Amino acid sequence: MRPVAVGPQVGVELTETPSGGALMVLSGALDVRTAAATRREISTQLSGKTFQAVEIDASRLEHGDASGMVILYELTHGRFTPGVLATLRGLRPELEKLLQAFPPPADVQAAERHAPRKPIAVEVGAATLGLGRDFLEVVAFLGRLSIAAGAIIRRPRWLRPSELARVFEKAGANALFIVSLISLLTGLIIAFEAAQPLKTFGAQIYIANMIGLVMVRELGPIMTAIVFAGRTGSAFAAELGTMKVNEELDALRTMGLDPTRFLVIQRVLAGTLAMPLLTAYSMAMGILGGVIVTKLMGFPLALIWKQLTSALGLDDILFGLVKAVVFGTVVSALGCYHGVHTRQGPSAVGDSATRAVVSGILLIIIIDAIFSVFAFALDI
Amino acid sequence: MSPAEKPPIIEVKHLTIGYDERIVQKDLNFQVRKGEVFVILGGSGSGKSSLLKCMIGLLAPLEGEILFDGVDMLTAEGEEHLNLLKKFGVMYQSGALFGSMTLVENARLPLDEFTRLDLDERELVALTKLNQVGLLEAARRMPAELSGGMQKRAGIARAMALDPAILFLDEPSAGLDPITSAGLDRLIRSLSRDFGITCVVVTHELQSIFAIADRCIMVDAQRKTLIAEGKPAELRDHSEDPVVRQFFRREADPEQGRQTG
Repeated sequence: MRPVAVGPQVGVELTETPSGGALMVLSGALDVRTAAATRREISTQLSGKTFQAVEIDASRLEHGDASGMVILYELTHGRFTPGVLATLRGLRPELEKLLQAFPPPADVQAAERHAPRKPIAVEVGAATLGLGRDFLEVVAFLGRLSIAAGAIIRRPRWLRPSELARVFEKAGANALFIVSLISLLTGLIIAFEAAQPLKTFGAQIYIANMIGLVMVRELGPIMTAIVFAGRTGSAFAAELGTMKVNEELDALRTMGLDPTRFLVIQRVLAGTLAMPLLTAYSMAMGILGGVIVTKLMGFPLALIWKQLTSALGLDDILFGLVKAVVFGTVVSALGCYHGVHTRQGPSAVGDSATRAVVSGILLIIIIDAIFSVFAFALDI
Repeated sequence: MSPAEKPPIIEVKHLTIGYDERIVQKDLNFQVRKGEVFVILGGSGSGKSSLLKCMIGLLAPLEGEILFDGVDMLTAEGEEHLNLLKKFGVMYQSGALFGSMTLVENARLPLDEFTRLDLDERELVALTKLNQVGLLEAARRMPAELSGGMQKRAGIARAMALDPAILFLDEPSAGLDPITSAGLDRLIRSLSRDFGITCVVVTHELQSIFAIADRCIMVDAQRKTLIAEGKPAELRDHSEDPVVRQFFRREADPEQGRQTG
């Protein structure tokens, strides 16, 4: 048979011997560039034929690498010719070394064995136990937080005011722009959306009442808390998580400094202080948005002001701010909790930040629902 | 033919490295010959890692050129550049394994991307590379489960996946115990001897230098250029340069000695 050139550099020549065997002569370069084409060519030439034995003459192979030698490995292990292991002769010593580096098939199989899948009951059990463990860890974390808070009340210099101020600035002041934008637009959107249906009843002036109540009691605290969870909760988790991965938390512990007292307390306190301030600001911006729309509809400012003050009481504002304090504490503490419980590995910090945000938002909504039920029951 | 007579595979000409205004090394001229283990020496902060980064194209030099088999690394573009990149493999100091993939997936990645072999075949080549660095049994484990030495060896396996002609190794023995470190040295020697791979190694471990290096160059932080070139034993025994002698004899800096002692 005429040698068939596959690609630019390798030749495969198959001759049948009288004894029912085959002689395959390979020539040229069998490497990463030619291996795939060579495999195809060999498969084509061998297809539909059965041989008693296959001999490969590799003496004319001039160049090769591991990706090329894999073809020879497969030939000599009978992948192309089921049941017949090809014999190899004439391979250059340097290529022989490459081929010898291949592990024996038994080792390959051993390495390919995947970890056995666990029964579903075991998986469910492990997950349940994991949930229980997580709960215990949260309780332990709250305990440590309380102890650290107690220690700081006794020794205020442990509070590290400079760190508190730095975190407070990042969590509070630096969030003003995004809180402004979101609150103002929320106020505008609600006012616009409400204008149409209220117009039917000639009750457009009540937009002011509605915006006031909605922003102060619900949307101000909720929107700010969600922004806070996304900006600050995740930042706390990532910051402490990176410190955990870099063994900085371990370094603190071995220096006799409790990370909860040294790092966590400042963040929780800063969050608790920043959230009501941001929320008050958000309430004002939201109402401003509503006022702008009402004014655009032609109502005088004095009338709008009268409507607002008649609808809103001090108790409404306090209700919103108390919620904000709770949200601030919870979101900051969750961020820190996920930060100090960061696991090892390259995606661990990202996972912690995600968990901090997701659990933060979830708890915000749950706590808000509880507040609403109590407020309804107590008629606040 | 001893490596000393072999033709150069990398030529560095009038290379100046720096970051913005700060020059780290200037006017470096040297050649790496085919098949040799070439070691770049230097104290901490001397710019040997910057030099390595420059050679593998991660850092643009301020001046000069780097030729791989006569092709300029800096001006090569498109297909030519890609072919050049396939010519060498790099082991990073910490292994730089992808944490979300098992070892065999790490070693298989270049094959997945650049060859048209079947999955079985790619897997087999990757396992062979892991076998060569003694990690066949750990093939299904994640990088995070391994010790530092194992991660470095896996890094070498991945660097070798496409059978590069040149292997760059950044501080292979840093942070390893003497036994693991000696094992890595032996691996590097065998890659050079048995498979003809040219190795360019950045290190400052004396023992490692004598164990692996055919030739070495030394760069200095003060003079900001190449201060020695040759076989390590020759440099140790015959160098007139005080800094080179200090380095090979492990003496403390006299200045530093006065300050601290």
